Amino acid sequence: MPAIDPRGPLEAAERRAAWLFLAPFLALLGVFFAFAAARTAWFSLTDYDLFSEVRLVGLRNYGDLLADDLFLLALRNSLMFAVVVTAVQTALALVLAVFVNGIRRGRGTARTALYFPSIVSSTVMTLIFIWLFQRRGLVTDAANWAANEGLAILCFALVLVSVQGALVLNARRRYDGVGALDPFFAIFAVLVALVVTVLLRTAQIVPAGGTDEPISWLNTRRTWLGMPVTLWSVAAINVFTTIPLMMLLYLAGLQSIPRDLYEAAEIDGASRVDAFFRITVPLLAPVTFAVVTLGLIGTLQMFDQVAILGNAAPIESRVTLAYYTYYNAFPPGGTPRIGMASAGAITLAALTLLIVFVQRALGISDRAA
Amino acid sequence: MTDLPARLLAGGFAALAASMPASAETVRIAGFGGQDTAVVNGLITEAVGDRIAEAGIEVVYEPIEGDFSQFILNALSAGTAADLFYVDIFWANAVFGADQAAAIADQSVAGDLLPNLAAAFTRDGVLLGIPKDFNSLNVNYNVDVFEEAGVDVPDADDTWDEFERKLAAVSDALDGEVAGICVVPDYARFGPFALATGWEPFDADGRTVLDDDFRRAFAYYTGLTESGAGVVAADVGEGWMGGCMSSEKAATALEGGWMIAHLRDAAPSMVWNSTMMPRDPETGERGNLIFTVAWAVNPASEVQGAAQELAAILTSPEAQQWVLEEGLAIPSRAALADNPWLQGDSVAQVASRNAFEGTSDGAVMPYEFGEYGGAWMEPINSALNAVLLGEQGIDEALADAQAQLDRLTGHDG
Repeated sequence: MPAIDPRGPLEAAERRAAWLFLAPFLALLGVFFAFAAARTAWFSLTDYDLFSEVRLVGLRNYGDLLADDLFLLALRNSLMFAVVVTAVQTALALVLAVFVNGIRRGRGTARTALYFPSIVSSTVMTLIFIWLFQRRGLVTDAANWAANEGLAILCFALVLVSVQGALVLNARRRYDGVGALDPFFAIFAVLVALVVTVLLRTAQIVPAGGTDEPISWLNTRRTWLGMPVTLWSVAAINVFTTIPLMMLLYLAGLQSIPRDLYEAAEIDGASRVDAFFRITVPLLAPVTFAVVTLGLIGTLQMFDQVAILGNAAPIESRVTLAYYTYYNAFPPGGTPRIGMASAGAITLAALTLLIVFVQRALGISDRAA
Repeated sequence: MTDLPARLLAGGFAALAASMPASAETVRIAGFGGQDTAVVNGLITEAVGDRIAEAGIEVVYEPIEGDFSQFILNALSAGTAADLFYVDIFWANAVFGADQAAAIADQSVAGDLLPNLAAAFTRDGVLLGIPKDFNSLNVNYNVDVFEEAGVDVPDADDTWDEFERKLAAVSDALDGEVAGICVVPDYARFGPFALATGWEPFDADGRTVLDDDFRRAFAYYTGLTESGAGVVAADVGEGWMGGCMSSEKAATALEGGWMIAHLRDAAPSMVWNSTMMPRDPETGERGNLIFTVAWAVNPASEVQGAAQELAAILTSPEAQQWVLEEGLAIPSRAALADNPWLQGDSVAQVASRNAFEGTSDGAVMPYEFGEYGGAWMEPINSALNAVLLGEQGIDEALADAQAQLDRLTGHDG
């Protein structure tokens, strides 16, 4: 009796079809990733400069990286940038997703509007932000306005909180279930705060400052909290352009959480905040893992937005690991240093892998809690 | 008789072959995109089209938008580069140092070129590229603004102080609506002031020393904003001096011959003129930088002879005469300094004449920094930026720049 393939002839055909479908992708992956990565790893051990004969130099390029102040600065900038941007974009994306998910009417419109920054080219968005971040641009005007009207803003906030608090406390003496952020009271409180602030401001009881200084957001060597101000500005651009995609991921996750869980929690007396932290956040852990991973990889590889800033900022204020790699591969007016650039690229890849492993070790994993 | 048809046929083919030109050799040339595309196309079709055809050369032009140096270095490395290509003086060292430019076949052409330009593309006594044109910096000024302010226009005899006084007077008379000049944190504009003092970028040991002469020029340039003569370009939403002038935010701009085309497009009704750079009051000299581009022949070209011949044609006297008279660029041949066109009084003629004279008047250096490339300018630009924005004092900024330059040039030990 002839041996029978337990997988059957149909399965063999299916396997062939699967390989055929995979073949184009595997070919691309092989050429543009596996081959390129292997070649980069090899170049990192040589003194290749595009033209001269390749000479093996062992780990010298890696040693030179550690002795290069610009590399150390790029490493520090990249790490800080990755942490700041990933943390902010993850938190804001979650908040926005919860907000959009809660909208009953016009959810599609809100989703489209909020997703818009993601479909605009990164280059175009960076050019718009360069314009906004000019020394006498809109952001400077806003910062000067905030500095000049600081007392008025404080006054508005104090009146708002006082009126809202008083209304909520008064209502709770008569009714149950009045929220601290009751929207009807909030509208009234905002109106009162606005009128009081305008009156006090007009009567000069709350004075305005006279600051009208140009502020360098891009073209500066200043640092804030250890990171160059230029990179803080780039971080703002990056957060703005990447939040929408992250928000969509969270939105998909939110829609897969059963409503029953929230209803049960409500019956048990849980507030919305309790439900958010005890149901939403734990059940979104797999999405958070994806969002944080994508965020870390994207931010560690930050290149285009700092490259477009070009001469607008000193090199030390904008250098990231990816830019450092490019800067070595094509130093302006100088001879290419492909060996150093490759060592920088391999270090960046290793660092990215390491950080994703650390992220998992810290409990941000792809399994729901 | 039987072979008559065959002989007639053979004779017919021979006559047909004789009536057709020999097959042309195709030479690929690569250069910048943008405005250069029109210039090169005009050159190879109008100016020297006949000579190219006579030489049996067919030209395929590949204008490159974006960073040309990256493109050509990659192409040379991959063996796909054009037979003839642009080499900018700023990154020429990367090409020449890697033996990626063949020696120019007719080395005697160096004697016909402006000496500074020929030297910029010569290594070990061998000419590796034929400069096609060049530029140096002029003081370009808006005549109407000076007239409205009632201030004398800048002239070639101005010292730094006189120049500064005129700029401050313009700004003052127009209540600051138009600045005297926009200042940018860029060695490409500040450099001429440093060179005018007698300072040299590298000493005998190859070290860059930011000495007292450099400091004096640095203080003058960054002080233009404090004296009311200038504003930082970024403060008025501009990135370069020429942009400030064409948008009438500044009365003057230290720019090269490219202002002719820029102002023709951006401010066609502006009445403007240009003069030489101001002199250092202490040395009496003026400084300048030379910006130049050459044609270089790919040593791996399979049509080496045709490429060499085409390079010679594209930089020949008639080609350069055409370029000059079209007001497109300033040619590199010394003999064209006496060209009647250059003696005219139109703004393009005056600007071109100033650029010609600017290459030999005072302390003039090519805009290149040897093996260090643009990295050499970074510390100086960064120091200029820090002082102009008020983030550092002059001495502190220069001390930082000196330390960075010492690290770069290997003199920090």
